Formats: sequence, structure tokens, C-alpha cells
Amino acid sequence: MNANKVWAIARKDIGHYFASPLGYVVLAVFFLVTGFFFALIVEQTRQASMVPVFQNTVIIFLFITPMITMRLWSEEEKSGTAELLITSPLTLWEIVLGKYLAVCAFFGVMLSSTVVYLVIMMLAGNPDMGPVIGNYVGYGLAAMSFFAIGLFASTLSENQIVSAVITFGILLMLWVIGAAGGSAQGVFGELMKYVSIFQHLEDFFKGVIDLSHVFYFVSIIFISLFFSVKVLESKRN
Amino acid sequence: MIEVKDLVKNYGNFAAVDHVTFSVPEGTILGLLGPNGAGKTTTMRVLTTSLAMTSGKVTVGGYDVVDQPHDVRKRIGYLPEVPPIYGDMDVISYLKFVADIKDIAPDKKTNRIGEVLEMLDLENMSRRLIGHLSLGYRQRVGLAQALLHDPDVLILDEPTRGLDPKQILEIRKLIKSLKGKKTIILSTHILPEVSSTCDDVVIIDQGKVVAADSVENLSQRLAGGKTLEMEVKGPSADIEKALGKVEGVVTIKLAGKELRGVSRFELTTDGSTETREAIFQCVVKNKWVLYQINPLGMSLEDVFLKLTTKETTG
Ligand SMILES: Nc1ncnc2c1ncn2[C@@H]1O[C@H](COP(=O)(O)OP(=O)(O)OP(=O)(O)O)[C@@H](O)[C@H]1O
Ligand SMILES: [Mg+2]
Repeated sequence: MNANKVWAIARKDIGHYFASPLGYVVLAVFFLVTGFFFALIVEQTRQASMVPVFQNTVIIFLFITPMITMRLWSEEEKSGTAELLITSPLTLWEIVLGKYLAVCAFFGVMLSSTVVYLVIMMLAGNPDMGPVIGNYVGYGLAAMSFFAIGLFASTLSENQIVSAVITFGILLMLWVIGAAGGSAQGVFGELMKYVSIFQHLEDFFKGVIDLSHVFYFVSIIFISLFFSVKVLESKRN
Repeated sequence: MIEVKDLVKNYGNFAAVDHVTFSVPEGTILGLLGPNGAGKTTTMRVLTTSLAMTSGKVTVGGYDVVDQPHDVRKRIGYLPEVPPIYGDMDVISYLKFVADIKDIAPDKKTNRIGEVLEMLDLENMSRRLIGHLSLGYRQRVGLAQALLHDPDVLILDEPTRGLDPKQILEIRKLIKSLKGKKTIILSTHILPEVSSTCDDVVIIDQGKVVAADSVENLSQRLAGGKTLEMEVKGPSADIEKALGKVEGVVTIKLAGKELRGVSRFELTTDGSTETREAIFQCVVKNKWVLYQINPLGMSLEDVFLKLTTKETTG
């Protein structure tokens, strides 16, 4: 694993985000939605709090994720640049991690906008930082596990739209499976509840950082990246 | 330097590459020649580790493409069929990216990029978005990418595709200038490309090698003076009949009547000198006049067409 090469891939892919209108549109939508919720909550509760902002906006990642992950590999394959990456002295892990890093960095830019709200809060009052940190961690982990799933889906097809639909499908499943688990019985029901994203986010939103929930998200990330590598490996046949 | 032994690549039941064997000695240029769908690109993709083979053994610089792909990748420069470029990057940023993933030392990067830009006459385009470049310039950016890390082995899939005639000559000159320094395989449908740049040629058709030799030998061996053209003065029917009986003559055909009773014939023979002598004797014995007798050479183009065109009749 060569960090310079991972970074080289990441830099290139970050560049792609800012070379197309899509990157800016996604950023704008994110700023608008989070800004709207922050303003609304301040207006209604007369309390500056980040928690409802995070709770209410995490769902937009269901839509944003496919948009920012679909091209990660599909486009390389379609345009023939995959051949350059595959035949260069790079390992598949370097490629996959570089791409993953790129989308996470893009997310970092998105998230940096929320610092404005944080500053407003701190100017207006004396917020309890515990829940704020818990929210950031949970929000970040959820988004980052979505991206890993999106990257994996992108390795499955050279068609960006197909990749996007697969991503959306998987995320939607993980989103609603908890409700289904509620009505199912026994081990299967428990399993469905465990897989559900919601259940693992709740504690973070309360400000509690529970390692078992961290483990859940980190597992999703690792498994998705691992299978991305495996899919790329299998393509040579 | 490059050894390909019994290479097979199947897509389902279809053999895209079928027991192909050839080798490229260090410092030489091999032309991979074949019609569309012959399996040139497939062969190159196996050599560059981008595609797994069905069976066979391929080594590049002594490294096995299956067992030591990483070592192979470090040593090759590859221009795929479609140049692997990013339309939203400018030429310089693209080459910087390539330098990063190809292990070029950071302090050598800028110098080397400058050299390659000059080599491919791309200096004026260095700040342009690749997506805004014309086809020929994109191809050159693709070539720049392959040459950037100064690899020992170059694998170029139709390197002159999309270039204008002047550029074609310049790229060929560039490739020729690498002779002796690099081991090169290039694929093409264009025959003059092979005769002007390559040392050896492998002709493949439908996944199989139909001929492999040095460029010189191949045109000679297959042409081999087997077809003769001759002009004789005399009654053409009698001549045709008599010469047809000469030992060693396989076929004879009246190719045209000239003025003053001179007829032109095309003969295929076994190629030996005795046959030519016998033909001469036969003409003299019958008191006809031999105006001329020439072996009809085959150009590489004829060889190529002959080898790769299936007889539809007979
Ligand atoms: N992924 C694939 N699946 C199935 N068949 C394939 C695949 N890739 C190539 N082929 C087939 O393999 C054969 C060889 O293709 P290849 O691209 O190697 O030919 P080529 O010699 O490079 O031709 P050209 O001169 O047109 O570039 C073709 O018949 C092609 O249809
Ligand atoms: Mg081809």
C-alpha cells in the first residue's frame, strides 16, 4: 500500500467532482437543505441545536450518494481509462481506497458548511458539545458507509445509471428493513433489525458514541470496499 | 524479452486467441498484423495484465504475467486501443497523475513530462483540456502516457490511429528511434507501418498465427518467385499448350495479347530455377521469341491478403 498513489487517485477523482456541474449542484442542494432545517429549528424552538438538523437531513444521503458515487468506477470502465489504472503498478486496494478517499473528501467539503451553524450556536449560547460530537460521528459514519456501498455498486456496471439505481436500491433496503424486522419473528426479525441503519443511528443522535454501532458502520465500509476489490479482480477473466 | 507460448483466450466457447506463440527479442520491434477481430487487442491485453488468459504462458522481461503481474506492470508502457484519457483534465495534470501512479520520482516528474511533451509535439496543447483536443492529439496524449515512465517494454495498440499523414510519419520515426533501446509490440492493419518500422511480423487471423517471421523473410519466402510473368512472340494457343506441359509449371494463363503477335502469360511454378530453364528451352526449341520473363514479387500487402483471406471458391 503506497499512500502517495492512493492520494494521487483521490486527487484525480476529487478533481472530477469540481470539473462538472454535478459536484456544485450537490453541494448547493446540501447547503440549502441543511440551512433550511437549521433556520427552521432556530425559528421554531428558539434553541440553537444541531441535532434536529442531522436527524432530518441524513435521509438526503439516500439521494446524494448515488449521484456522487455512480461514476467512480463505471466511468473509468466506459471511457477506457480503467485499462490505464489496471495496467499501472497499482494494487486494486490502492485504486479502491483512492476513490473512496475522494468521495469522503468531497463529503468533507459538504460537511464543512455545517461549521457555520456550529459557530452561530456557540455565539448564541453555550451548547453541550457531547451530543454535537456524537451527531457528527454518527452522521459521518452513516454517510461514509453509504459511499462505500455506492462505490461497490459502481464496480458492478459500466453504466452510471445502473450503478446509481443499484446503490439507491441497497440503501433503501437498509433504510426500511428495520420496519420490516419489527413485524418479522424470531432470529430473522432480529437480524433484519440489526442490519437496519436507523437502529444504529439513534444512539449517536442522542449523543452517545457506542462502539458496537461504530463497529456496524465500519463493517459496512470494510465489506463494501473488500467486495469492490473482489469485483475488480474478477473482471480480468 | 517477451515470450508468448500457446496463448489461448476464450470468451465462452469462442476462441478469440487460439494457441498463439511468438517471442520478441530485447530491443526489437514486432508488428502484430491482422484484420479486424483477429485477436490483436486481446493478445495485448493479456500481455499487459489487464485480461486473464485461458491457458498458456506469457512472460514480459522474464516476469510471468499471471504470477508476477506487478513486476510486469512496472516495466511496460501500454497504449490501449482507446487512449485512456480523462476529458476533464488538462494535458499537464493528466501526465502528472500518470507520473504519480507509475512510480516516477517527484523530482524527475516535471523534466520528464517536458521531454515527452516535446517528443510528441504537444507543448502548445499542454494547458488544454483533453476533452477539447482533436482525435489525433488525444492519441498523442495516449502515447505520451505510455512513454512517460520510460519503460523497457512498449505495447502499442494501433499507435498511429487517427493521426494525419505527417504525424503518422513522425510517430513512426519516433518508434524507430526507440529500436535497440526498447522492446516494442505494435498492432496495426496498415502494412507499410510494419515494413517501415518493424523487425519482425506476426500475422494473426481468427485468433491463430498464420505467419511469423522477419519482415524481409516473410515477403521473400512467401513470394519466392513462384509466379512468373512472361512475354513470348508466337501463336498464343500453341505456346500456352506447350508451356503447360513443361515440368514444374503448375498453371499457365494468357494474361493479354500485345501488338505484333506478342502474348503475355502468367505462370505459377514450383519456384525452382530448373523450371525456369526448362521454360526457356521450350520456347527456344519451338523457335518462338522470348521477350521477357520476370518473377512476380509479392508485396507484404499481397502476403497479408493471401494469408488472411479465405478462399470462397474451390
Ligand atoms: N469481452 C468480449 N466478449 C466476447 N468476445 C470478445 C470480447 N472482447 C473481444 N471479443 C472478440 O474477440 C475477437 C478478437 O477481438 P480483438 O479486439 O482482439 O480483435 P483485434 O484484432 O484487436 O481487432 P481490431 O483490428 O478490430 O482492433 C473478436 O471476434 C471480438 O469480437
Ligand atoms: Mg484491436
